Amino acid sequence: MTLGGCVSKLIRVEHITKQFGAFAAVKELSFEVEKGEIFGLLGENGAGKTTTLRMLATMLRPTKGTAIMAGFDIMKDPEKVRSKIGILFGGETGLYDRLSCEENIAYFGHLNDMSRDKIDDRVKTMAKVFGMEEYIKRRAGKLSKGMKQKVAFARAIIHDPDIMLFDEPTSGLDVSAIRDVHEFIRTCKKDGKTIVFSSHTMSEVEKLCDRIAIINKGELVEKGKIEELKNKYSCDNLEDIFIRLVGVKSEF
Amino acid sequence: MNFRHVWIVFSKEVKDILRDKKTIITSIVVPMIIIPLLSMIAGGSVQNMQNDIEQNVTIGLTQESNTAHIRELIKSYIIADFPNINLIDIEDPIEAINDSKVRIVLGVEENYKEKLEQGEPFVIEIIYDKSQTKSEGSMHIVSNAINQFNKKVIVQRLEKMGIDDKILKPVEIEQTNIADDEKTSLSMLAMILPIMIVILISAGGTAPATDLVAGEKERNTFEPLLTTKAGRSSLLIGKYLTVTLFSFVSAIASIFGMFLGYIIAPESITMGTGTQLSGFSLPGAAILMILIISVLMGMTFAGIQIALSTYAKSFREAQTYLSFLIIIAMIPGYATILMPPNEMPLYMFIVPILNTISAFKIVLGLNINYTYLTIALASSVVYVIISLKIAVTLFNKEKVLFRS
Repeated sequence: MTLGGCVSKLIRVEHITKQFGAFAAVKELSFEVEKGEIFGLLGENGAGKTTTLRMLATMLRPTKGTAIMAGFDIMKDPEKVRSKIGILFGGETGLYDRLSCEENIAYFGHLNDMSRDKIDDRVKTMAKVFGMEEYIKRRAGKLSKGMKQKVAFARAIIHDPDIMLFDEPTSGLDVSAIRDVHEFIRTCKKDGKTIVFSSHTMSEVEKLCDRIAIINKGELVEKGKIEELKNKYSCDNLEDIFIRLVGVKSEF
Repeated sequence: MNFRHVWIVFSKEVKDILRDKKTIITSIVVPMIIIPLLSMIAGGSVQNMQNDIEQNVTIGLTQESNTAHIRELIKSYIIADFPNINLIDIEDPIEAINDSKVRIVLGVEENYKEKLEQGEPFVIEIIYDKSQTKSEGSMHIVSNAINQFNKKVIVQRLEKMGIDDKILKPVEIEQTNIADDEKTSLSMLAMILPIMIVILISAGGTAPATDLVAGEKERNTFEPLLTTKAGRSSLLIGKYLTVTLFSFVSAIASIFGMFLGYIIAPESITMGTGTQLSGFSLPGAAILMILIISVLMGMTFAGIQIALSTYAKSFREAQTYLSFLIIIAMIPGYATILMPPNEMPLYMFIVPILNTISAFKIVLGLNINYTYLTIALASSVVYVIISLKIAVTLFNKEKVLFRS
């Protein structure tokens, strides 16, 4: 289903809810993301960020509500939605150690129905962009963490998706790797991709995002442009706003 | 399900596994070398033992019997026709047996000569050690030699009395064995081969099944895969076919190994039981049916293995489940190992795993019944469908897929 009238809103999340038994991980969450925008999902661990992104990526099926991603409904056209999105997870890069970098990337290209020529072209281009030319033919298991990360970037965008989902992409990374991730997110934006980025690190959200949504215990607490929120709550940093809205984290 | 996606997943998984030295060694090299080697060693040692028992029978005499007369009796009369029996000089008979210097010690009555001449029985005591296989084995050989001596003496005595020794044999026994060499060797194979096939096929799929789902989850490669355009059923079927393929690669490697062992040492295939495997001919249709049935069993195993690997929270948990599966798979094989092929009841052709074993047994036992084979084939198809259905259901269940 293509929604011609909503081209500028590339993502429209409508009352999305996910129930795991009696536990509601996400409750009635709604937000929209404009084309080319970086949208931040800010929340503590366990707030429902990953569950939300997994629903948007059609890995989990919402209990209620839906989302329209690049014109396709996640409930009705999950396959088409997946062809329009790329996703990058935090922590381990999740590459196949015994495949070469090129093969790792191409595998995802093939599974996204790209032709061999197109894949070869894209791999060549990305190898140049990410500086992977030297090791593109080497097996992924033999690379450094930083090199692996670049392969994971390339793999996520091999099919040139309209939407990129980043699930805490910098968790557990060192400073230079974090910089690489931030740089990658900016590149995606420059390429016109629409980005949803989840994090619990205020500074990076503030640095990268155009707009944010703060979620707590699965519910939307606040959303808007960072500057607008700062004015609304008369605070000049996001952390104070977050603490005011979410409260002091009981785990600490 | 999209066949193109299935093929992409399948070819990637095969390439990935072929590059994994560990899996290649455990599923191809080990069965190809270890199985024939083990049966050759086991077969060889059984054969050597048997040869040794038969060829090198050493006997001694008790001190009281160690006289020139008695030695003469033993050497010239009792063991004269038995070049495999040797009389050795010993001092302490018990010690000599314990030290394996001799296997048997004989005690002969001193006045045997008079008794023999008077036509009265005299005693030869055989001292042996039942706990020593060689000593016990030799006891039968020496008893046989004494019996032969008995017969000779009887014939001589009857001749003296002018009576034909036929009088001692009112009945002659004639044995007719309806099993030819082919049937005998096949029945040996009917005992061993079905169990080996079940174990090899169930074991062959274990490593890839563990790696392909539980392993992917643990290495974090699984979630990105779920976000590609390929649907879950395509991913699952691609992985399922890979597991099926490797179950057979390993089984074929083992059978090839057995064949290789047979060429090098023909007695190895029956583990030295003395039976030789000679050329035999089985109906092509029956062979085709048991091959299809074993392929279907491999597919059933692959489905269950993938399902268990999907359900497992970790690589280790998957390994535990899958090792249990091999043990469970072995039970029907061992339970029916001695069951003759012509006595397999109908229900055995319906029970999973047992149906494959029974089918192999009746074909190799040359008791081929096509109705039974068809029943085994049909029930195997049902099990493939059931196991695949379980795997697909689990693979599509969020609760199972994201269990942690």
